[in-house]
Amino acid sequence: MDSAVITSTFTSPVILFFVLGFAAALARSELSIPEAIAKGLSLYLMAAIGLKGGVAVAESGIGPDVAAAMGAGFMLSLLIPVGAYAALRAFGRLDRTNAGAVAAHYGSVSVVTFVTAAEILEGVGLAPAGYMVAVLAIMETPAILTGLLLARGALGSSEGRRGEMLHEVFLNASVVLLLGSFAIGAIAGPAGFEDVRPLFDTGFKGVLCLFLLDMGLIAARRLMTSRALNWRLIVLAIVFPLVNGTIGTLVGFAIGLDPGSTAALGVLCASASYIAVPAAMRLSLPEADPGVYLTMSLSVTFPFNILIGIGLFAALARALAGG
Amino acid sequence: MIETVIRKRIEILADQPLVGRVTNAIDEVGISGWTILPVTSGSGREGRWREERITGADKVLVLTIASAEKASSLAGRLAPILTSHGFLLTMWDVEVIRGERF
Repeated sequence: MDSAVITSTFTSPVILFFVLGFAAALARSELSIPEAIAKGLSLYLMAAIGLKGGVAVAESGIGPDVAAAMGAGFMLSLLIPVGAYAALRAFGRLDRTNAGAVAAHYGSVSVVTFVTAAEILEGVGLAPAGYMVAVLAIMETPAILTGLLLARGALGSSEGRRGEMLHEVFLNASVVLLLGSFAIGAIAGPAGFEDVRPLFDTGFKGVLCLFLLDMGLIAARRLMTSRALNWRLIVLAIVFPLVNGTIGTLVGFAIGLDPGSTAALGVLCASASYIAVPAAMRLSLPEADPGVYLTMSLSVTFPFNILIGIGLFAALARALAGG
Repeated sequence: MIETVIRKRIEILADQPLVGRVTNAIDEVGISGWTILPVTSGSGREGRWREERITGADKVLVLTIASAEKASSLAGRLAPILTSHGFLLTMWDVEVIRGERF
């Protein structure tokens, strides 16, 4: 595999800001991003990635590879929790509720990991196709349904609770903003995007740096205060992205995606949600321990993917493509 | 001298996604108002927690004031799910002006 692709992540300012945040929190620095700014950064990133994806689809059109990528993403999100659940029960020694909740996180995806991967991949000449943003949005939800079925054999304890959960799943802020801005980008097209490019394109990397600085702080602080994590769960939080990411990359290659989109599908499968799914699990499985599922996804898997996973799946996708 | 009456002040610490369960219960027992206050960090049986803004694990404080009868109904309604949902419920007597409003 191309080791230059793997090492290039360590010289990216985006990754280095994440490392700075992580290290600052470990050193017990008081550094923090004010709440309103952090929320603004997150909204900006989701709107920008959605818009850019929509514009790219408007430029390239919709081909059979789009349907294949969306179908593959849906099925992977639906099925990945099944394997994760089995491992969490057998090796992780979690009860049914916690195993189902954690499995849902690993079938779903991390928007920030995807955004970071898109930047890194573009930097090494493997820019993913614009429609991968739609694949990202599609992959947020199916895993939640699988996780709930695994945890208790049903989607909700009552009609009202089910409605509350489905509302959270399909209309959570990230799905609405991602798909909404994707649609706006697809309608506006490249010409329409020119008017907003100074805000959504020029400043994108800088904003991503600040957001990852905050994510580094949050991930490390959660890790330092965690009581629920043990070595078995830490091992699984590293094995899951390796296995799931490899499966995603191989599937992307098998269905004929371009190398950049293949790597992006690998990263999506490797990533674990820590925004949409925790809220859905709090509503649907309040007995599950957030200290387990959030610490695994946010404090172990997320840093692993940012530092190692993205470069690894990019190199694998390039090797498969024979580059 | 302003006349005051005794009412119950109830505070429920809850995770942000579960606030709807608390406010629904407040509405259902006939308490006419509630207020949600942000909190930033703390420590409890499950360890330390702090506001993360994005993860759905942030907590808020739901504050309401009611008659002893309605406060008791609310406590009875929330008691079975206090442990499973990770709620913390406290109540105590307070003096209020315009007691007919609570």
